[in-house]
Amino acid sequence: MRAITLFITALMICAAPILFSAPATAQQQEPDNYVQWRALAEMPEILAGEDIWIAVEQDIYPQWHTYWRNPGDSGSPTRIEWDLPAGFEVSEIHWPLPHKLPYGPLLNYGYEGRIALLQKLSAPDILPDGPVTLTARTEALVCKDICIPEFSSVSLTLNKPGNATMPNYAYFERAQDKLPSASAWPAYYTQESGSGNDFVLEIETPFLCTPEQPCDDLELFPHEWGLVDNTADARIERSMDKLIIKQTASPDRDITEVPQARFLVAYNNAQGAREAFEISGALVTPPAAATSAAAAIDVAITADISPDVTLAQALLFALLGGIILNLMPCVFPVLSLKALSLVKIAEKQPGLARMHGLSYTAGIILSFLAIAGVLIALKSVGAEIGWGFQLQNPLVVGLLAYLLFVIGLNLSGLFDVGGNFANTGQTLTQKSGLGGSFFTGILATLVATPCTAPFMAAALGYALVQPAVISLGIFAALGLGLALPYLALSFIPALDRLLPKPGAWMDTFKQLLAFPMFASAAWLVWVLSQQAGTMGVLSVLMGMVALAFGIWLWRHLPAAGFWRFLLKLLAIAAIIAPFIMLPRGGDQTSAIEEDLKFGEAFSPAILQQALASDAPVFVEITAAWCITCKLNHAVGINIAPTKNAFANNNVRFLVGDWTNYDPAITDYLHKFDREGVPLYVFYAAPDANGQRPAPQVLPQILTPGTISGLF
Amino acid sequence: MKSFFTLFGAVALLLTPAAANAEMYGETHSKDDTHTSAQVGQAAPDFEATTIAGEPFKLSDHKGGIVVLEWTNHECPYVIKHYDTGNMQGAQKTAMEKGVKWVSIVSSAPGKQGHVDNAKAAEIVEEQNAHITAKIIDESGEIGHLYGAKTTPHMYVIDAEGTLAYAGAIDDNSSPRHDTVEGATNYVLAAIDDLTAGQAVQVASSAPYGCSVKY
Repeated sequence: MRAITLFITALMICAAPILFSAPATAQQQEPDNYVQWRALAEMPEILAGEDIWIAVEQDIYPQWHTYWRNPGDSGSPTRIEWDLPAGFEVSEIHWPLPHKLPYGPLLNYGYEGRIALLQKLSAPDILPDGPVTLTARTEALVCKDICIPEFSSVSLTLNKPGNATMPNYAYFERAQDKLPSASAWPAYYTQESGSGNDFVLEIETPFLCTPEQPCDDLELFPHEWGLVDNTADARIERSMDKLIIKQTASPDRDITEVPQARFLVAYNNAQGAREAFEISGALVTPPAAATSAAAAIDVAITADISPDVTLAQALLFALLGGIILNLMPCVFPVLSLKALSLVKIAEKQPGLARMHGLSYTAGIILSFLAIAGVLIALKSVGAEIGWGFQLQNPLVVGLLAYLLFVIGLNLSGLFDVGGNFANTGQTLTQKSGLGGSFFTGILATLVATPCTAPFMAAALGYALVQPAVISLGIFAALGLGLALPYLALSFIPALDRLLPKPGAWMDTFKQLLAFPMFASAAWLVWVLSQQAGTMGVLSVLMGMVALAFGIWLWRHLPAAGFWRFLLKLLAIAAIIAPFIMLPRGGDQTSAIEEDLKFGEAFSPAILQQALASDAPVFVEITAAWCITCKLNHAVGINIAPTKNAFANNNVRFLVGDWTNYDPAITDYLHKFDREGVPLYVFYAAPDANGQRPAPQVLPQILTPGTISGLF
Repeated sequence: MKSFFTLFGAVALLLTPAAANAEMYGETHSKDDTHTSAQVGQAAPDFEATTIAGEPFKLSDHKGGIVVLEWTNHECPYVIKHYDTGNMQGAQKTAMEKGVKWVSIVSSAPGKQGHVDNAKAAEIVEEQNAHITAKIIDESGEIGHLYGAKTTPHMYVIDAEGTLAYAGAIDDNSSPRHDTVEGATNYVLAAIDDLTAGQAVQVASSAPYGCSVKY
């Protein structure tokens, strides 16, 4: 009903100028201005020292167009000149993805319809009192068959007293969706010698435009004029580690005038959606390639560092997060054993103890870098994944469950591997034990991954939107944090005195530590039940029995003879079989179990529909492998006060299950700058004007009162 | 670092054979037969035409002196910017006083913006108070394509040897605002100054700006 009223009101407003204008010329009246301008701010208020997005919107008359930063063969880019109060600054324009607009033998880069040109507005550290008004002089060349320059001015007032204005988050989200993403792949360009030859751009990425990650209708938009023949099409060639884009070169400019350039590359992804990224490249003239190539890497590394969380902060968070990880139930036993083994070595050989500390640290950091590398690589080709993605694959979950189970068996004394993986045995005093320490580092990383997501959300979220080098730095810091306690023990002999004296109790303690391992394995099996159903659980449980049997059998082989051979084969088979039995594919239909699920299944369409109604909407994004999510659900959501609050206020409760890979949910997480779960978003009911207040993101740790407190 | 450079050398080598491949594609995208548009540093393509005064004009006849080609369309706001402010006429006057020949060319097709017949073209020259050697109506767009003229205005400066010395915009401010002609650097006059001083042209090309040529 409301929608219909709105529609009729809108119709009347739109029709008004026509109704009241001279009736004789009512048909096919060209407008006075082909571009309607307005300015918007992301939020009605700006705080001292903060940044917000502002937009200048062009509503362009049908079939007319305005121009991109590089207008192509003719035309002129839109200009915005802000008149700002003292201390305020605006960034350069963030241009949305342009279109190719052919005109006769010429081709332009520009826009049709309605577009938003975004800029970041920064406030000074000391704000003036009262409202802040910004005015911009705007000019655009707007063309169809003919061109008309149009001038206007727009203004924005922020920090109005009383503050009746609503934030425009949704508008800015949509506008940001149209911006190209930044890409940090190194890129180089050159022009083949001779006339009528190709401009060649090489991007050092092993991922884009491969059979797995196809890219259709690739278009190249150079920021600089005169590099390519605008009317020609881009062609692509793919080598192992490079994407090569070629387009007929422009005869109009000497390429050596352009030592550095930025490019926008647009393409259709496998799902047919248009995607775009921007990349910095350096000119390579074949004989003098060296210096510009090095410069290009510098540019690539320093590009686009988000100012919201500083690098130092993110590194510190990651380091602290890593230290906290040591207390996780899955990691603690590993560390404890390392610490105990250290007691033995340090007494005799302090130097060797330090070497063990370093090996262990190296093992951890390298494993973190490897996982981060895979994640970054996948993301750079547009895969919609976030941190915790490892656990979205039932195969990985199954393998981790086996690993924890086998460690548990080892701790409880069923078997020893060599000198024993945790180095409590005699081999410690030998150099070869260093490899064991390195392996323990890798193991600690593996068993820690399930616990990383909830605790490291902020730092990892920051990490994953950074250029690759910075991302890797943050993951390395996380790894260093994880390794730090043991490293400290091995380097500071004074700390040793805090540890108990070695003795027979250590064996008992070791056996005790097996139980957290079994518990972790049991939890992983439960995660697997969400992903692969009851058959998956059966496979893994039987696999565990087979593993234990195989290991036991191996330890009790007859001394010699035919039986030894046969039983050895059987033991090997029993150890290998579980891996073959592991469930591989996810069972997409399975989800959070019924008793916990009293909401509706989340999807963007359902959310849209819910937001169109008058009801408040609460969105929970969760995953079976996320302990924090489970805990929050039990403590804060699946409780009487919350259920009553939902019922009394007719709340639409939507639950998104991210246990398995789901691009729609990943996309939704990204809208709130999250790379992982949990996420709780509350959309309050619309006010008297039919406007919803901005969505409210709840903390990652819920208490019983958090949700009922919203009403 | 060293291996990095080696890699680059290898890339450069690999690119060379790939060029042969590109030829094949290049052809499919050329729009017309006159794809060989003018290039700075090379001989300016010769052409023959009849001026609006009915006189023959052959570019190569004017070797020994500097020639400026100006693509124009009197209805284009950018052309209007430079004529209403007197900026274009001022440049023409300065150039002509140095013995430069200035040729205005209209490549608008019949029915398109800026298309005029000889009589109307003469009227416009009169109204604008333009100081030019000749004006040519190129309604087939032949000369425009020969030079790869993209915008109005699009300027070309040809030196005494008949080499194209400058191609691009009239100046360095592409705003359509009239007040921006003040303080802008006029690339055409700068090129003429460089040539008469016997120096290499400092800015030999720039991005032409303005309305598209209405071919």
